[in-house]
Amino acid sequence: MDEMEHLNPKDLEEVFRAIKETKGQAKFIAGCTNVIPNMRAGVISPELLIDLSGLEDLAHIREENGSIAIGALTTISEVAASGLIRNQSPILSSAAGSLGNPLTRNRATIGGNLADASPAADMAPPLLAMEASVHTERTGGRGRKISLDKFFIGPHQTVLEDDEIITQITFSKPKDPANGSYIKLGLRDSMAISVASVAVMLEMEGKVCRKGRVALGSVAPTPIRAYHTEQRLEQGEIDGNTVEECSAIVQKEIFPISDIRATDKYRNSITSVLLKRAILQVLDGGER
Amino acid sequence: MPGKPKKETFSKSNYRIIGKPMPRHDARDKVFGKTKYAEDHAIPGMLYGKVLRSKYPAANILSIDTSNAERLPGVQAVITAKDIPNNENVTRFGQTHSVGGFEGLYRVLADKKVRFMGEAIALVAAETQDIAEKAIKLILVDYEAFSGVFDPAEAMKPGAYQVGESESNVICSYKVRKGDVGKGFSRSDVIVENTYRVPFQDHAYLEPESGVAWIDDDGVITLQVSTQVIEHFREIAEVLGLPHNKVRVIGTMIGGGFGGKEDITVETYLALLTWKTNRPVKLTYTREESILSHSKRHPYIMKYRTGATKDGKLIALEAELISDAGGYIYLSPWVLLYSTVGATGPYDIPHVKVDSHTVLTNNTFSSAYRGFGVPQVCFAYESQMDELASQLNLSPLEIRKKNYLQKGRALATGRVLDHYVAFPETAESALAALGEQSRSKSSAERIGRGIASSMTSYGRMVFLHDTSRSYVSIEMDGSVTVRCGVQDLGGGQASSLVQIAAEVLGVPMEDVRVYIADTALTPLAGTTTATRQLYMSGNATLKAAREVRKRILRKSAEMLEARPEDLELWDRKVVVKEAPDRIISLASVVKACASDGTQLYNVAQFNAPFRELIDFKTGQGQVFPDFTFGSHAAEVSVDIETGKIKILKLVACYDVGQAINPLSVEGQLEGGTVQGLGYALTEEIILDKGVTLTPSLSEYLVPTSLDVPDVQAIVLGSGDGVGPFGAKGIGEPSMVSIAPALANAVCDALGVRVFDLPLTPVKIVNALKKS
Amino acid sequence: MKTYLIEITLNGEKRKVEVTTRETLLDVLRNKLDATEVKNGCGKGDCGSCAVILDGKAVNSCLTLALQANGKEVVTLKGIGNEEKPHPLQKSFVEHGAIQCGFCTAGMVVSAKALLDQNPRPSRDEIREAISGNLCRCTGYKKIVDAIQDAALEGKS
Repeated sequence: MDEMEHLNPKDLEEVFRAIKETKGQAKFIAGCTNVIPNMRAGVISPELLIDLSGLEDLAHIREENGSIAIGALTTISEVAASGLIRNQSPILSSAAGSLGNPLTRNRATIGGNLADASPAADMAPPLLAMEASVHTERTGGRGRKISLDKFFIGPHQTVLEDDEIITQITFSKPKDPANGSYIKLGLRDSMAISVASVAVMLEMEGKVCRKGRVALGSVAPTPIRAYHTEQRLEQGEIDGNTVEECSAIVQKEIFPISDIRATDKYRNSITSVLLKRAILQVLDGGER
Repeated sequence: MPGKPKKETFSKSNYRIIGKPMPRHDARDKVFGKTKYAEDHAIPGMLYGKVLRSKYPAANILSIDTSNAERLPGVQAVITAKDIPNNENVTRFGQTHSVGGFEGLYRVLADKKVRFMGEAIALVAAETQDIAEKAIKLILVDYEAFSGVFDPAEAMKPGAYQVGESESNVICSYKVRKGDVGKGFSRSDVIVENTYRVPFQDHAYLEPESGVAWIDDDGVITLQVSTQVIEHFREIAEVLGLPHNKVRVIGTMIGGGFGGKEDITVETYLALLTWKTNRPVKLTYTREESILSHSKRHPYIMKYRTGATKDGKLIALEAELISDAGGYIYLSPWVLLYSTVGATGPYDIPHVKVDSHTVLTNNTFSSAYRGFGVPQVCFAYESQMDELASQLNLSPLEIRKKNYLQKGRALATGRVLDHYVAFPETAESALAALGEQSRSKSSAERIGRGIASSMTSYGRMVFLHDTSRSYVSIEMDGSVTVRCGVQDLGGGQASSLVQIAAEVLGVPMEDVRVYIADTALTPLAGTTTATRQLYMSGNATLKAAREVRKRILRKSAEMLEARPEDLELWDRKVVVKEAPDRIISLASVVKACASDGTQLYNVAQFNAPFRELIDFKTGQGQVFPDFTFGSHAAEVSVDIETGKIKILKLVACYDVGQAINPLSVEGQLEGGTVQGLGYALTEEIILDKGVTLTPSLSEYLVPTSLDVPDVQAIVLGSGDGVGPFGAKGIGEPSMVSIAPALANAVCDALGVRVFDLPLTPVKIVNALKKS
Repeated sequence: MKTYLIEITLNGEKRKVEVTTRETLLDVLRNKLDATEVKNGCGKGDCGSCAVILDGKAVNSCLTLALQANGKEVVTLKGIGNEEKPHPLQKSFVEHGAIQCGFCTAGMVVSAKALLDQNPRPSRDEIREAISGNLCRCTGYKKIVDAIQDAALEGKS
């Protein structure tokens, strides 16, 4: 730790040159809101920090070919304040506003939140519900596009290789951006790690759900999609029965644990409650 | 009556400064970033100290090998128990008197055994913080770990793991006996019996423990440290085997105390390291270290049985209290005594039986925390009142009104309340201030309201013969100096003295300079604990200022050819009340005094009333000088599906006697309410077999600005306190009744009660499922 | 240990300082730049005592590596106002009794300043939101919110 090095590349070529030239365990950093606490707790002891915060190209929010593209280095505050995001994905906007606190939101990045891959990562459920993709770059130009639902493989584990960084997150512009709902339950109303969170996006045709996407946080080793629940939603008209059935199905798709914040049983029942509320909220006009 | 201020020539109707919302004198320095807290001090050539702490909650130490640490370049000292002249010190409670019965063992560093996880084992001083941290990791400790005991009820049983070195884990027990509870219960129409549990609470002051130390040119070990008790200098001296006058403690402005900086924290470590190395040393705890190793609020298991007639008159109360003292005694016997005396609450009950015990376990040690044993029992007795009310079909306010103590009535300990008791009006006002009941906004939301009342002592236990001293002088130019050993933990302790001196001497607050918290240079004023400073150092300052005032008026009377009682001291002038054109400047009076040798300074000592130790067999006798009475009212909305509680309205109504500074009083009520709100809803130090699962402020949840509503503080002033100008203390009382008010509100909303704190969503949902 | 020379503009003044890779902006402000008004309450972003304004945004200085502040502007409590020229927030905090132990004050004023720079007329809810990363253990927050609201009404932020 004494001789920990810090590199400040100005562009992606420099990043990959640095990875090639240096030996040892490198850690990509940006906002440092997880990295510094982890170093403090001794959870990680990197020998090399590759600081991506100088890559200004990677901080943007824009529309590109019918998709919304958010650069990995966009801060959570920027996501929360973005009019474009508020219009195209109110659930993402809402989740951004609920992450951490205003001070940490000014430093934490959307790429960092996904790369850290906490099971409670606040940005993951809405992005999963938006069917977002993660775009990466790697040495040797082997960057790829990874569907977010294939991105997380375990608590704080992703499919990213050691020399691979997220550059951008994209999702297609939804037909009805407002037909979504995001609910986070925490033990406090600020600076709260979520006990459970639910994000729902529905594409409706009258009372029929053409496409339903349900994503959950803090109730499995990673943020997850609730595929069976989605299938049930897509089986025709949504009525009271549908909602009840979905709230039962979703409980079978999760693997909650007991920890200092809540018991597994509580997380189980709360997922059901939050899902019900989220669906009803969408049917009632959704998130604006 | 001892302690009551004499009738003054200036009166309440024309106080200039007392009772006015004055900006605190220390606020400006704080808002401009000029105030130096302990960690802000740096001394050239200073070393950095670090503590090695136990990896196990219960273990023997077989050996400690410090050689690798000592060899690390940059390390200047490694200290273990064997290097300490007097590693163990028996703490006698009270400033100068030894009170028989309870002598707490204070051990600087663990020697053969560790009793809680995080107990200090070794100290290091090194050239940099980094080297000190590395050195700690190089110390090899060979432990023989045991399974230990973590439940005080288990620890009480014969054959339980012995936490300490003596026979029993039970530190002490008390009894209160009044009447015959058997008879009382047989006469009761309704009996309610429940067990209440409350958790470890952390003070979570924003400023972690910190200090610097050096040896001055006269060989005096000098500490500049964040502490509520500078008078630990005596114990520090004894640890080092030095005379008391060779240790000086200077208290810095404290960044929050709440009782957590009442016991020795970093002081002995600093003193030892500077003594060993002959160099200045700084030592600051990390937040994780603070949570791991400093005192906590005692968890209690409280079995309550309360009986009442069908009209709602309380007839009998039986309580058994078991408190978890953790690994060391510290102040547990006193906390238990407060709980025992306060177990019945502010109610008149003919038959009372209380048995209480405080027990060693291998958890973090428990000690002083705002309220000192009273918030725990208040949660129990105020929940019981509502349980009775619901069985009897009475409102919570009605049942309390039938049973409140009044002035002239006695507690179950026989002590007659000799000052005004602000019930029922504090409860009535608090409840009325909730206004119209809010409506629920959804089918899952239930609205409920609750009240709770408390009586909390201010001033220390009367058999401790508490005293306080203060020095007040007028300088040659008419400016005023106050020197007082008071420690300021942010509650305006120093600022109150400025207000008092300014009021009495007829000068603006800006003319008063106060020096505090230096054992070498300020008259000792005792601890900033037990809600005693306004009462004690306030009265001492008042006494000293009045003496100076008397001399000023005597001289002025000569100069103005009037009688002293005809004169008024006002705005740096002396004026004849009936003839305001006859006026002279204070400065001219001061000069006249100087030329004829009239001293314009006074050191006054204020003595609290002294009583004998109570009869511990029956719990009869007086323990406290006086009490502060108050109530909280709350309106909550509970989501019955998620169990989340939202607080809609919160009111605190307390009788403070006379508010010296209304802004400060409101600040205490608003702040105490929020600290109690945390205790009620989110705060819990979770220990699993002695290991903390809540190591930082990410896991230990203190209320944020989004978790609390605006607290409405209603301040009543009966004038009947024993503090200066009839003031009462408010620092601790302000946090006592909020948790039961919230618990009662939640029960009102749901129709089911949760019997332990904090009221987490999981507990709410489980309680609803069960019913 | 390897050190790097960085330059930051601290309260309007350019300062050069040697830092290690591990040092946070908080460490450097307190230990090397004499900015002890910035407090260390927890070291990991849980309390807000260390808040400063970095290139116009309020952040936890304990969560920012010193190297990451290179070339940037840092504003602390002392850069917001002083005795000769107090900021309305500072006057308001004192008048409202919003300061008890004072340890959270520096961070609170920083968060409040950052809020008023973006939103000169915040509602009470917006104020509570803006300081929701700053813990206070003494005041219960009410007088702090009152003070910020009053300073905003004064209009000069």
